[in-house]
Amino acid sequence: MNELSFRNDVLPLKDRLFRLALRITLVREDAEDMVQETLIRVWRTLEEGQPIDSIEAFALTVCRNLCLDHNARREQQNVAFDEQAHDLVAADETPFDRMVSAEQHAQLNALLNRLPEKQRTAMQLRDIEGRTYREIADVMQITESDVKVNIFRARRAIRHLLTHQPSP
Amino acid sequence: MLDRYWECHTTAEEETILRSFFSQADLPEHLAPYKPLFDFAKQEQQVKLGADFDARFSELLDAEATAQEARHTHVRPLRLRQRFVPLLKAAATVAILFTIGTAAERAIVGSQTEENATQPVLTDTYVPSSQVEAVLTPATTDATATAQPGDTLAHTVLPAESEVVAE
Repeated sequence: MNELSFRNDVLPLKDRLFRLALRITLVREDAEDMVQETLIRVWRTLEEGQPIDSIEAFALTVCRNLCLDHNARREQQNVAFDEQAHDLVAADETPFDRMVSAEQHAQLNALLNRLPEKQRTAMQLRDIEGRTYREIADVMQITESDVKVNIFRARRAIRHLLTHQPSP
Repeated sequence: MLDRYWECHTTAEEETILRSFFSQADLPEHLAPYKPLFDFAKQEQQVKLGADFDARFSELLDAEATAQEARHTHVRPLRLRQRFVPLLKAAATVAILFTIGTAAERAIVGSQTEENATQPVLTDTYVPSSQVEAVLTPATTDATATAQPGDTLAHTVLPAESEVVAE
């Protein structure tokens, strides 16, 4: 596994890492910083020749941990970032908001971003990135059962939103 | 399958099928409310980093590589003891060479003294002519009486020598 190439095997993960970082930090600029830091750390690990079983799972784990640390620091600084972040994310989604379901997309995004971190991370990795429960469990360092519980709760909240909102 | 989806009992392949199914424009009325969820997931997959990310990250990577190289070539300050190690080594070398030189010199001088002791003692066997004359005088009394004035024993005994003096 030491023959992994940073340019060919790690760099292509950047957008996937960015989507996860954005789902956790909820702020685009912060998410970009987290992706940079993640890529640097993965690069250092490869340089040191440390064995890595799955480069994607490793990178996603590093990214999530960095994002959680970042959020914790922000909370310590008493930055009420939730509302601000939701506005920023909503503003970012304008290319998609122009589509037919623009309003519903924004609502879903806002709902997902209001869920607890574990629920939105598990939902992001499963429904958007298409990862298996095992892979998600590895990244989040919890059991597969806990992964399913978190995804179940997230889907239930989304289903509730979809079935109880007025039709467009 | 949708019910199984809500219960997290679907596989990844089944969920791909669901996303494909809900991407249709015409859906049964009772399923239409869930279409936004699957559209949302599909659209979210297109979220990407900004176009300038690669350039910024490339700069960061170069800086990191430089910093890493600097860390590897960092010169640690020498401790006082470490600084004097070369000096001590030089002093030790000089001391060893001096000792060896002294020992070699003593060995050479000693052998020369032994050589002198074993050489034979040469004695000077030269006898002055006055002593020879004194010894020979009684035996040549008659000859002296008959000799001409100015003649000497040396002159008569060693004519060759008188020739050298004359020259």
